Amino acid sequence: MPIDDKTLVESAREDDSAPIGHHLETGGTPLDQVAAESGEGSRTLWSDALRRLLRNKLAVIAMAYLVLVTLLAITAPLWTKQLFGDPMYADTTKIMQTRFLPPSLAHPMGTDDLGLDTFARVVYGARISLMVGLLATAISVIIGIVLGAVSGFYGGITDSVVMRLTDVFLAFPYILLAILLISLMGMGLGPVLVAIGILGWTTIARVFRSSILSVKQNDYVEAARAMGASDLRIMVRHILPNALAPIIVYATMSIGGVILTEAALSFLGLGVQPPTPSWGGMLNEAQSYVVTQPALFIWPGIAIIMTVLAFVLLGDGLRDALDVKVSE
Amino acid sequence: MADDKLLVVDNLTMYFHTRDGVVKAVDGVSYELNSGETLGVVGESGSGKSVTALTIMRLIPMPPGRVEGGDVLFRGESLLKMSDNEIRKIRGNRIAMVFQDPMTSLNPVYRIGRQIAEPLILHKGMSKRDAWARAVELLDLVGIPHPESRVKDYPHQFSGGMRQRVMIAMALANDPDILIADEPTTALDVTIQAQILELMEELQKRIGSAIILITHDLGVVADMADNVLVMYAGRPVEYGSVDQLFYRPLHPYTWGLMDSLPEYDVDEKSKLCPIKGQPPSLINVPSGCSFHPRCPFAQPVCSTDVPEYRIIEGGHGAACHFAGDPGFTRAEASPVPVPAAEEVAW
Repeated sequence: MPIDDKTLVESAREDDSAPIGHHLETGGTPLDQVAAESGEGSRTLWSDALRRLLRNKLAVIAMAYLVLVTLLAITAPLWTKQLFGDPMYADTTKIMQTRFLPPSLAHPMGTDDLGLDTFARVVYGARISLMVGLLATAISVIIGIVLGAVSGFYGGITDSVVMRLTDVFLAFPYILLAILLISLMGMGLGPVLVAIGILGWTTIARVFRSSILSVKQNDYVEAARAMGASDLRIMVRHILPNALAPIIVYATMSIGGVILTEAALSFLGLGVQPPTPSWGGMLNEAQSYVVTQPALFIWPGIAIIMTVLAFVLLGDGLRDALDVKVSE
Repeated sequence: MADDKLLVVDNLTMYFHTRDGVVKAVDGVSYELNSGETLGVVGESGSGKSVTALTIMRLIPMPPGRVEGGDVLFRGESLLKMSDNEIRKIRGNRIAMVFQDPMTSLNPVYRIGRQIAEPLILHKGMSKRDAWARAVELLDLVGIPHPESRVKDYPHQFSGGMRQRVMIAMALANDPDILIADEPTTALDVTIQAQILELMEELQKRIGSAIILITHDLGVVADMADNVLVMYAGRPVEYGSVDQLFYRPLHPYTWGLMDSLPEYDVDEKSKLCPIKGQPPSLINVPSGCSFHPRCPFAQPVCSTDVPEYRIIEGGHGAACHFAGDPGFTRAEASPVPVPAAEEVAW
C-alpha cells in the first residue's frame, strides 16, 4: 500500500498505542478540549437542547412556574400550618367567624366554607396533582416505550398483536374505563394513579412505534450497518436517540392531560378522599357556593389551568429544542 | 490464483421473493477487482447496480432477498458464507461504503467528530479521545477547512458537498481495501460533483483502495474508472476496460447509453437519441435477451434465446448474440425495421 506522504492515516494505523497528542501539536487543538468534547455525545446533545430551550421565553416562564409550584408543594407541610393554619382540620367552634373570609395577608386566597385557608389547600392540592401527573405518566411511558419498541423493532406478528391490543384499549371510553378500574380497586390516590397510568400507554406506544419505524428507514441507519455496527448498537445508538424526542415531548404534554383527568376523577369523588385537599375535590366542594362564593372554585380552577398550560408550553418548547434541524 | 484477487464476484445471483413474484434483482453478475483499481458500474435506474453492491456487503435483508447462486470472494474468502460477526468486521473496515444522499446519511443527533470516530472505535478499538483526534485529521484530509472546530458541529451545519466529504472521511477512516461509492455525486450540484470525484481519486492514490463506483453518468466513468461493467435488468451486458468500452462498445445497450449523452461539440441540429421505452420490470423480465424489446437491432433469436456472455477480445465481452460480428458496431450497424404492431406495443 504505497503512501508517499506522512498522512496520519498510516501512522495511526501502524501504531495504535502511540499518543495521538503529537499529531496535534501542529494543529494546536488543546487536548483537554478534545477530551472534553469527545466525551459522551448524547450529553452534549442534551446540553445543546437545554440551551435552545432556555432561549424560548414561554417555556422558561412555564418552567419557572412549575419549579415554584413543585417547591411549594414539596415544602408545604413545613410552613402551611404555621402561617395559614391546618388545611385539613377545621376548628368547628369558630367556624362562623373564619368561613368565607375575603383575601387578606393572613389568608391570601381567603377561606372556604369550613374556614380552612384556600391558599394552603391549593398548595396541598398541587402535591396530589403533580404526584399523580408525574407517576401516572411515568407508568404510561414505561409501558408505552416497551410495547412501542417491541412493536417497531420486530414488526410482523408481534407488531400486529401489540397494535391490536392498543386498538382495543383505545376503543373504550377513557374516563369510563378509569372509573371501572378505580371502583374495582377502591377509591383513593393509589387506584387513581394506577388506573391513569395503565390506561395512558396506548398513545405513547403508538407514537414511539411510528417514531422507530420512521427512524429505521433513515439512510444513516443503513450507513451504520455498512459501517459494521451490530444490531444492538444500531438500536441503542442510532435509532433510540432519534426516536426518543417525540416521546419526551408527548410525555411532558400528557402530564397536563393526566392532571386534568385526576381533577375530573376527584371532582367525581373517586380520587383522593377528603379532608386531603385536591384541586378536583376543591371544585367539587365549591359546587354549592358557585353563585355566592365564586372564589372557592376560581382559585383551584386557576391552579389547574395554569399547571396544565405550563406543561403544554414546556412540551412545546421541548419539541422545538429537541429538533436539531429547526434550531440554529 | 483466486486468493490474489482482492474481490471476485462470481456469477452472483440474488432474487427478492415478494408477494407479487420473484424480482430478479441480480442475475449472474461477475467481475474482478484488484487493489487500487476503479470499477465503474453503469446502468439505468433499477438495473441492479446498487443491489449488487448491497448484496456484496450483505446489507440486503434476507428475506425477502435470497442469494440463489454464485459467490463473492474477498481475498479468497467468501463474504456470503461468513457469520454475521465476521462480515461486521469487514464492513466499514476492509470494505466501506459511501451512500448516494449525504443529506440523510449522517445521524442528526451526533456531532460530526463522533460519527467519524465511530468506525475507528468499532474496528480499531481506539479510545474515544484518540478516535476524536483522528477525526480531526480525517476531516482535514477530505479538505474541510478549520477541522478542529468543525468536528464539533452537527450534520445540519454542513452543506451537501461538505457532508459527502464527511461521509468519505468516515468510509476511509480505517483505510479500507475497497470503497463502494453508490452514486456519490448524484445528489450534489455539478461543480461540487467534480470536487468530490477529484477528492476520491486523490485519496485512492494515497490509501491505495480499490473503488467500485456505481453511477449512471458515463462521463464520470470515462474519467475515473479503469474497468466498466454495464448492467441491464439485473444482468451484466458488457464488461471491459474503459478504452475498450468507449472506443469499441459491443452491446447495443451500451451504444444506446452513449447515443443518449449530449455532446458539446456537435452542431445544434443533431438530436439526442434516447433509448426508447422503459427498463423492464424485474418480476417479468422479457424472454431471451432482456433488452430485445427496446433494441433497434433485435432479430427473432433475441426474443427466444438468452445470449451468453462471451469474451470478444482481451477481457472485453458482452451478452449479445451478435457482439463482435463483422459490421455489428456502433457506427455501422443498421436498425432492423420494426413491424408497426410491435412499435405500438412499446
